[in-house]
Amino acid sequence: MLTRKSTHSTGGARQLRSSAARNLGQTMDRRTFLKRSGLGVGAGAMAVQLPYNLIGSADAATAESAGAAGAETVHRTVCTHCSVGCAIDAVVKNGVWVRQEPVFDSPINLGAHCAKGASIREHGHGEHRLKYPMKLVDGKYQKISWEQALNEVGDRLLKIRAESGPDAVYWIGSSKHSNEQAYLLRKFVSFFGTNNMDHQARICHSTTVAGVANTWGYGAMTNSYNDMQNAKAMLFIGSNAAEAHPVSLLHILHAKENGSKMIVVDPRFTRTAAKADYYVRIRSGTDIPFIWGMLYHIFQNGWEDQEYIRQRVYGLDKVREEVMKWTPDKVQEVTGIPEEQVLKVAETLAKNKPSTVVWCMGQTQHTVGNANVRAMCILQLVLGNVGVAGGGTNIFRGHDNVQGATDVGPNPDSLPGYYGLAAGSWKHWCKVWGVDYEWVKARYASEDLMTKSGITVSRWIDGVLENPEAIDQPGGNLRAVVYWGHAPNSQTRGAEMVEAMKKLDTLVVIDPYPSATASMAAMVRKDGVYLLPACTQFETSGSATASNRSLQWREKVIEPLFESKPDHTIMYAFAKKFGFADELVKNIPLVKDKQGWDEPVTEDILREINRGTWTIGYTGQSPERLKLHMKNMHTFDVKTLKATGGPCDGEYFGLPWPCYGNPELKHPGTPNLYDTSKHVMDGGGNFRANFGVEKDGVSLLAEEGSASKGAELQMGYPEFDDVLLKKLGWWEELTDVEKAAAEGKNWKTDLSGGIIRVAMKNHGMHPFGNAKARALVWNFPDPVPLHREPIYSPRPDLVEKYPTHDDKMKFWRLPTLYKSLQDKVKDISKEYPLIMTSGRLVEYEGGGEETRSNPWLAELQQEMFAEVNPKDANDAGFRNGDYIWVESPTKAKLKVRAQVTQRVAPGTVFLPFHFSGWWQGEDMLKFYPDGAAPIVRGEAVNTATTYGYDSVTMMQETKTTLCRVSKA
Amino acid sequence: MKTRIRYMLAASLAASLLAGCGEQPQVAKYEDGKYSGKADTRPWEAGAFKGDKGAWEQAMRNRVRGQNEYKRVE
Amino acid sequence: MARMKFLCDAERCIECNGCVTACKNEHEVPWGVNRRRVVTINDGVPGERSMSVACMHCSDAPCIAVCPTNVIYQTEEGVVLHDKDGCIGCGYCFYACPFGAPQFPNGPAAFGARGKMDKCTFCAGGPEENGSQAEFDKYGRNRLAEGKLPLCAEMCSTKALLAGDATELSDIFRERVLRRGKGVEAWGWMTAYGKDKEEAK
Repeated sequence: MLTRKSTHSTGGARQLRSSAARNLGQTMDRRTFLKRSGLGVGAGAMAVQLPYNLIGSADAATAESAGAAGAETVHRTVCTHCSVGCAIDAVVKNGVWVRQEPVFDSPINLGAHCAKGASIREHGHGEHRLKYPMKLVDGKYQKISWEQALNEVGDRLLKIRAESGPDAVYWIGSSKHSNEQAYLLRKFVSFFGTNNMDHQARICHSTTVAGVANTWGYGAMTNSYNDMQNAKAMLFIGSNAAEAHPVSLLHILHAKENGSKMIVVDPRFTRTAAKADYYVRIRSGTDIPFIWGMLYHIFQNGWEDQEYIRQRVYGLDKVREEVMKWTPDKVQEVTGIPEEQVLKVAETLAKNKPSTVVWCMGQTQHTVGNANVRAMCILQLVLGNVGVAGGGTNIFRGHDNVQGATDVGPNPDSLPGYYGLAAGSWKHWCKVWGVDYEWVKARYASEDLMTKSGITVSRWIDGVLENPEAIDQPGGNLRAVVYWGHAPNSQTRGAEMVEAMKKLDTLVVIDPYPSATASMAAMVRKDGVYLLPACTQFETSGSATASNRSLQWREKVIEPLFESKPDHTIMYAFAKKFGFADELVKNIPLVKDKQGWDEPVTEDILREINRGTWTIGYTGQSPERLKLHMKNMHTFDVKTLKATGGPCDGEYFGLPWPCYGNPELKHPGTPNLYDTSKHVMDGGGNFRANFGVEKDGVSLLAEEGSASKGAELQMGYPEFDDVLLKKLGWWEELTDVEKAAAEGKNWKTDLSGGIIRVAMKNHGMHPFGNAKARALVWNFPDPVPLHREPIYSPRPDLVEKYPTHDDKMKFWRLPTLYKSLQDKVKDISKEYPLIMTSGRLVEYEGGGEETRSNPWLAELQQEMFAEVNPKDANDAGFRNGDYIWVESPTKAKLKVRAQVTQRVAPGTVFLPFHFSGWWQGEDMLKFYPDGAAPIVRGEAVNTATTYGYDSVTMMQETKTTLCRVSKA
Repeated sequence: MKTRIRYMLAASLAASLLAGCGEQPQVAKYEDGKYSGKADTRPWEAGAFKGDKGAWEQAMRNRVRGQNEYKRVE
Repeated sequence: MARMKFLCDAERCIECNGCVTACKNEHEVPWGVNRRRVVTINDGVPGERSMSVACMHCSDAPCIAVCPTNVIYQTEEGVVLHDKDGCIGCGYCFYACPFGAPQFPNGPAAFGARGKMDKCTFCAGGPEENGSQAEFDKYGRNRLAEGKLPLCAEMCSTKALLAGDATELSDIFRERVLRRGKGVEAWGWMTAYGKDKEEAK
C-alpha cells in the first residue's frame, strides 16, 4: 500500500526524501530555464506530419506569444523505452525540445504512450546525465577533456592488448544502440581482435532466440502486436505486458473487447492478470510441467492439428512420449496447479483458434530457459497455430532495439545476421566491409579464437575472477571491461560483481547515464575508471527494430547535449586511436559534426547492413524506404500492417524482416513468419531448411502441399544455392553480373541477390527452402524439453526427481556449475524458505538509471520495495511499510520497504529490478559523479541474486532463487 | 483579435435561450457578474483559429477520432 | 455545442500512468503537484480496477459555488477554470471537490506561487491571452486553443481515458460496450451488475 502509486497520492502520503527534495528545486529551475530562453510556449505545433491540426499553423508560428523567437519544427522519432516502437512527434524550437505530440497515424501505437513514452521529452533536458568525460582520481570523479579521455583510455586498452592479447578486453554493447551503432560496434570489436562482446539480449531473450530459431528458423517474434487483434485466445505466461509493454495492451484489449479470451499464467497476480478472463497461479520455474500438462489434455482429447503436424512438424513422437508421463497429478505436484485449471487453459487455446502465446523473461531467465521456450513452440505447433494470422509465438522483446542488436549487433557467437563465426562467414563479411580477411585474422590472437564464441555478459565477472587456467582462452583473465550502454545491476550476482570491478585494470563506461556502474566502481576502487558521455537516440539518427521485426527510422531531434557524442562517433574516434579507422569506414562516408568530430553517416551504415545481411532479410530496408514509411504511416492498416494505396502500396509497415533481396526487388517485408497462405513476394513463407535435409534416415523437408502460396514446387525443398539453381534449370535467368557473383555461392552469400530474385520473384519459392519445424532439437542438451528443478529450489524432494544438468567445463570459455552446486544447496530452503523472483514496473526500464533520473517518472515510484504475502509478513513479524531485509543464500542483504500484498502467494517474494544506488542498506550517493546521481535510488535486486545459467545460451537465472525476510 | 467577452454573460444567455425551448439549462447558472476574476478568451478566438468556430469544432472532432481506434481498426 | 468531459474506461485502464506523465510533460507541472492521478481499487487481487482521475469539470461545479473570491468559472465548453490572480489559496474548493482535484503547491515558480490553487485545466489554460507566456506560466498550455484535446487522453496507452465532447465520447464508449456483449461472461459485466449475484452463489 505504499510504494505503488495506485494506493496513495504521490504528493501526499509519501514525503520526499532528502535526495528527491533536492530535485524539486531543479524541476522548478527547468521551467524557469525554458521561460528565460523564451522557449516555453508554442502557439501551435508546426504540423507537416500531424494530420488533424493543419489549421493556422503558419500563423501560429508568428503569433504574438511572448518570447516566440524561432520557428517550430517537428521531428518524428520512436520511443526508446521498450520494443513496441511507439512513434513520437518531437516539437523543437531554437534547438530545444519544447513539446511532444501524439502520432495518431502510427499503426503501431496510434498516438498512445505509457508513462515512459509520455515523458520521453525529459531526454531533451537530461539534468542528471553525465555531462563531460570524467576519470576516477583518488576515489572521486574528476572532469577531464575528451582528448585526454580518448588518449588515456586508448593507451590503457592498447597496453592490455599488447600484454595479454585482445581477448583480455571485454566489450559490453547495447540493445539501446540503433541498428547502425550496434552493427558498427560488432565490426569495431572484431577489428580490435576479439569475440568477447555481448549486450542485453543475452540476459533477456537469448534462450528464446536460440530455442525458437532452432525449432523453425528465425529467432524472433513470429507475428506482431497488431496481429494479436486476430487472435481468438491469448495465453500470457511469464509476461506482464501491462507493465512491460503497456501499449501492446491497446491491441490486446481491443482483441479482448471483440471476444478474444485472455489467459495469464504467472506466479504473481500481475496488472496483466487483472485484465485477464482467467488467471492461473504457477510455482516459479515449473513452466514445462504446466505446458506438458496442457499437451497431455490436448493429446488425450485429440485436439491436435494432425494434418499440420504431418506436413510441417518433425520429431513430435518423442515429445509425446515425454508429455504422456505428465499426468495431472504429477503436474499438480510440481506446478501447484489443479487439473481443472490446466484443462481449462488447454481447452480454451484448442477451441478458440487461432490462439496465440506470449512469453517474456518469466520463461527465458531460467537454467532451463531454452527448453521452456521450445515447449511453448511445440504447444503452438501441435495446435497448428504457427504461420497463421492471430496465432504464432508472440515473444515480446525488452529494449527498443534489442531485436536489432541481436540481429546485427555485438554478439559473442556471431557476425551480423546470425552468420556465425566460421571462416566462410568471416570471408563473407570481409568482402562486404571491403577489408582483407587476412588482415582481420591478424587482428585476432589466433584463428581459433576468431572462430570461438566469446564470454557472455552474464559471466564477465567470472572472466575476471575465475582461475586463469580454467578459462578457455590463452590470455586468461579479462583485465578491462567497457560498459557501452548497459546497466550493471541487470546482471546477477552483484555482490561478486564489485569484486570483479575491484580486480580490473581498467573500467570504461560510455553512456548518457553511467552512474550505476560509476558508483559501484567508485565504492571499491580509487582509480582506473573512465566515464564517457554518449548521447541518446534523440540526439542522432538511425533505425531501430521493434519486437515485431519492423524497422523504424528516427530523425535527429536535437543536437547532442552537453559534451556528449553519438556512439558511432565515439567508435570512430577510438578506431583512429587504435589504428583501424580507415578499415572501419571503408564504405561509409564521414561528416563533420558541430565540434569538428568525424561522424560516420548513419544512412550509409544501414546501406552496408543492407549489402551483407541476406540471411534474415535486412537487405531490403534501405534508408529511403524506411523514411518513406515514417512519412506515410497513415496509409498502413492497423490489423495487417499493410499499406493500401499511397507510395508504400502493398508493403508492410517498417518492412518487417525478413525483407528479402535488394531494395529494388521491392519485397514488402514479412508481417507473420512462416505463413503459407501468402505468396513469398507478399510476405508469405514456410519453415526454414536450416538443419540438413534428413536426420537418421527421416526427411526433414516439409510434405507435399505445405509450400507457400504460388510456389512453383508445392513440396519440401532445400535452401537455394548455385547448384540447385542449375539443377532446376533456372541459372540462365540470372544476368551476367549476377552469375559472376552467384557462382559458388548460396542465397546467403550471393552479394548480387540474384539467387533470391530468381527463386522468389520468378518462381515463388523461398530461398531458405521449405522444411519441417523441429519438435526435437537434437543439438541441444535436452532435445525434448525436460523439467529440471532450479538450482536453488524450494523443493528438495523434487530436486531428486528432476535434477539439473551436469557441470560443464568449457562453456562459452568458462567452467559452469549445475549439478554440483544444486547438490550442495539442496537443503538450503530450510534456511531460505521463500522463492525470490523479480520483474518490471511500468514507470522504469531496464537497470533504471535513465528513467529514475526523469523527475516525471521518479515521482511515481520513489522507493525500492518487496512484495510479500501477508502470511509471510506476519510470520516474519513486520507490517506493510516497514523496512525489511531480504537476504539470499549469497548472504547479500537488501534493505527495502515491505509491500504486504496478496499479489504474491505465500512463499513468494517479488522485487522490481530497476533500482540501484543503495548497497546492502547504504545509500551510495557519495560514490556518484557530482550531479549525475539519479533522483531515486534503491537496492538492486541483483545484488542478492544467485548463480545459475541456461545450458545453451548462458542466460542468467533471475526468476527462481531463494531468500528470507526479516524486519530491519 | 482580442474580443474579450464576459463568459458568464454568454453562458446565462445561452441558458435562457435553451430554457425557452422547454429544455433544462445545460450550463449551471451563475448570477451575472458574480465571477470576479479576469476575463478569458474563447479557444477559437485567439491564435490558430482567428474566431472561426466551425473550424475549431471540426478540429475537436478530428482529435476525438484519434482517441477511438475503431475508426482505424475493424 | 461541445460540452467537454473526460471519461475513463475502467475495463481498459491498466494503471500505466501515461496520463500522469503526459500532463507533467505538457504543462511542466512541478514535482509534488498532481493534476491527474490513477487510483486503483482491489490492488493485487481479482477485481483490481484502475481509474484515472483529475478535475471532472462538473456541470454544476461545487468549487465554483463555494469559492469566496469568485474566481472559478466555467467556459462555454463546460471547462472549469480559475483565475489564479484572485485566488487566495484558502482551500475551500478542496473541501467541496468530491474528487480531490484542487492542488495547493508550495513552490518558488509562478506555477505554484504562494499556495494558490492549481488543478487540471482540460488543457485550456486560464484567463490570460491564449497561448501567451503568462498563460503558460500560471496554467500551462492551452491545447484547446490550438485545436487539440487534453494530452493525457490523447496519449492514453489503451485509449481508456477519453477527452472531448461528451456526446462523442459516449458514442465511443457505447460501441465498446456493445462489442463486449452482455451476460456474466461479458467483459466488464460483473463490475457493473454482477457482484451480488456472484456472492449469492
